[in-house]
Amino acid sequence: MGKTFLIRLSCLLSPVSCLLLFLSSCDVRVPKDPQWLIWHLGAEPDTLNRITATDAYESRINGFVYDSLIDRDNQTLEFIPKLAHSWEISEDKLSFTFHLRSDVKWHDGVPFTAEDVIYSFNQIQNPKVDAPHLRVYYKDIRKLEKLDEDTIRFTYARPYFKALEFCGGIPIVAKHIYDDGKDFNTNPAGRAPIGTGPYKFVRWDTGKTIVLTRNEAYWDEKKQPQLKGIRFKIISDDSVALQELKKGELDLSSLRPIQWVRQTDSEKFKGQFIRHEYYAPGYRFIGWNQRRPYFKDKRVRTALTMLINRDAIVDKLEFGLGQVISGPFFFQGYEYNQKVKPLPYDPPGAKKLLEEAGWSDHDGDGFRDHDGVPLKFTFLIPSGARFYERLATIMKEDFSKLGIDMEIRTMEWAAFIGRVNGRDFDATALGWSFGFDEDPYQVWHSSQAKEGSNFVGFENAEADRLMEEARLTFDKEARTRLYHRFHEIVAEEQPYTFLYTGEALVARSKRFENVKIYRGGLDVLEWKVTE
Amino acid sequence: MKTYLLKRFFLIIPTFLGITLITFFIIKLAPGSPISIKVQAAEGVKAQSVSKEIIEQMKKLYGLDTPLPGWYEHFIHRTNALLFGVTDVEQRNLFRKTAEWVGENWIQYTRWLKRVVKFDFGESFKDHRPVIQKIKEALPITLTLNVIELLIVYFISVPLGVFSALRRESLIDKAVMVNLFILYSLPTFWVATILIMVFASGDHLNWFPIVGWVSDGAETLPWYKWLGNVAWHLVLPVTCMVYGSFAFLSRFSRANMLEVIRQDYIRTAKAKGLPRRTVIWKHAFRNSLIPLVTLMGTLLPALMGGSVIIEQIFSIPGMGKLGFESVLARDYPTIMAIASIEALLTLVSLLISDIAYVWVDPRISFGKL
Repeated sequence: MGKTFLIRLSCLLSPVSCLLLFLSSCDVRVPKDPQWLIWHLGAEPDTLNRITATDAYESRINGFVYDSLIDRDNQTLEFIPKLAHSWEISEDKLSFTFHLRSDVKWHDGVPFTAEDVIYSFNQIQNPKVDAPHLRVYYKDIRKLEKLDEDTIRFTYARPYFKALEFCGGIPIVAKHIYDDGKDFNTNPAGRAPIGTGPYKFVRWDTGKTIVLTRNEAYWDEKKQPQLKGIRFKIISDDSVALQELKKGELDLSSLRPIQWVRQTDSEKFKGQFIRHEYYAPGYRFIGWNQRRPYFKDKRVRTALTMLINRDAIVDKLEFGLGQVISGPFFFQGYEYNQKVKPLPYDPPGAKKLLEEAGWSDHDGDGFRDHDGVPLKFTFLIPSGARFYERLATIMKEDFSKLGIDMEIRTMEWAAFIGRVNGRDFDATALGWSFGFDEDPYQVWHSSQAKEGSNFVGFENAEADRLMEEARLTFDKEARTRLYHRFHEIVAEEQPYTFLYTGEALVARSKRFENVKIYRGGLDVLEWKVTE
Repeated sequence: MKTYLLKRFFLIIPTFLGITLITFFIIKLAPGSPISIKVQAAEGVKAQSVSKEIIEQMKKLYGLDTPLPGWYEHFIHRTNALLFGVTDVEQRNLFRKTAEWVGENWIQYTRWLKRVVKFDFGESFKDHRPVIQKIKEALPITLTLNVIELLIVYFISVPLGVFSALRRESLIDKAVMVNLFILYSLPTFWVATILIMVFASGDHLNWFPIVGWVSDGAETLPWYKWLGNVAWHLVLPVTCMVYGSFAFLSRFSRANMLEVIRQDYIRTAKAKGLPRRTVIWKHAFRNSLIPLVTLMGTLLPALMGGSVIIEQIFSIPGMGKLGFESVLARDYPTIMAIASIEALLTLVSLLISDIAYVWVDPRISFGKL
């Protein structure tokens, strides 16, 4: 009976297996064009609407589709003409006049004009447009006027050294596409952008891929795109992305430190790929909420920093692929004061400092206290970030040896950021990433302590004054002096424990030529493939 | 029968309202708001102090602004005075805050309900696309995966259950059981990773793709090749989805079969001298399928719900991923849409399975209820 059952079962399954056999015998793979770059994207952008988008994935894609008024030179980082062929800054540093190119066309053939810039600026200011993140940046611009067909002028309410960068970098969308009398946020162009840039948008398959193809009629002769097209492949799991890279299904992907050290150093991998490492502006830190009684005293904060072995942490957790820092700037930037050294790892010194500040175990419960407040706090970290989780365990261990009780609390991002913005935390770990020419105002000015990114509540009159003055200082050297002093103050006060700047790690297929690492990173536009 | 069905049908409405109301309030209770995520989109991005005015504008844009009616404010004030007097400021504030929160969310819920009655699930906070369009994109993918999964699971588990029942307590029965439970206990994410490493990583074997459900540019292939391409992509995810489900279903059908085999009519059939095959497949097996009908209640919603883990690992843009990402972004309209569609499907399929029960088993009826 068992036999008949098995026969029946196999009868049932045989058509299925025949079908499978048939399917596996014919080649179902899609051939690849070597002239295309397949680039890993860690998550899907919400939208490709230049103005309402908030994520980094959008800017990676739209950076190829759109142009801005001015651009930065890859190596010198100086501003260079783009959609504006020249610009002037008035004596009082309040007016910025841009002369636009008249030969630029949107991808659909309509000429680009001053009207597009003005329309985009007005949409940023429009309360019905979902762009609060941009509105705060452009709120100091009093007006934007059209002087003639090809000339526009921004007028600032107060001088600001980053004004040129902001005006020149304003996201520009096509007026003739968006201005249809309907809701700006839901405009279909948010799913199919039309820009003026070196690549044209082709297709967006939700959750799968976004495809761009070369703009054969790109106006900028000096920056003609070389590769035929770019396909962004959305893969949320980074170990899967690495496997996909190894299979040759991706050409360019960023790597995590562990992948760099352990999973991509084989001869086979190096035969197919070339790995690049460089630093991008940004750093990771631990923030101490200075509204809490135990973090009010800078000696406590300094002691805690001295209890965290940052060199060992970078070595062990990030495999040495990072640089320990001492202050709030990018360590390769001019703002960073190289004279300020990171505090040493020094538990006995930390102990001394804590005792000095009055934090010893008065009530004999094994934990330090001062004025009846025990040195007990919660360390809040975002979930899913392995680095912070492992950092937290190391800290807990080291702190407990000195009678400091630290509890670890992991929270999902939305809840986490709600707590941080509500200033409802004791200590937290996070990272900042920024551009070149950094303005520390949002993170450190006392006016940003209530709302804004100064969530640790750092307040220092001299620091405030330095930052305010720097904002009005257009001379780079003068600003550098101000920032160097500011760096000293922050290092002295230790509102953060500055951890490190991690290296950007990428692997790319060997078939691309003319790949250069600039101070600004990689420039895919120059990459070439010769068969 | 008819009155019972009508009653059941109309009971769906209050149950649905209850489910959606509770879901709505739970979502709103979760910490974090879509606005703070918009302003602080990801780690590393600095946020400038956003003025109160901008926050208000955003609330309005998202329909999260809810001015309470005057009588409600009055009501809060009166109750407060009645309950806590004037002295207990802390209690008063707490009560006022809670009452305001409930009032605001009630207004938002009724607004939502008014739209849903017209089958309008609103716009996603994340990208301002209609929620229904997002679901339409994700649903076919998840449906395909789940239909294939269920077919495989049923076609293997049910015969396997019958097979074990006929050899009850034998070595082979026990071996099958042990193996199925081992499979059942393996965590999906682990199996998925192992499968990828062994069969698809390029380090060992490179048989299968690991990303998505179809290749880029597969549209250019002829239809049978396109189908093959999809099947090729689905091998690993479907494997991960099915292996854990065998245990339950085959045990279930084994138990049913054992139950039926003990019945008098089976003995009668045997005594009549019917061939064993007829007894088993015609009399026993068909009757043993009746309890499977109860499982139909879980079938419809199970078809729609995607697996978050598998969709995440294999980068398949299905319902699981959509739901998960919406929760992370506090995209209230999308979460509510998915939750209410699932709720409705569950309710409807429960009703259907009840009807089916009566239909397949004449011993049961709704007549006297």
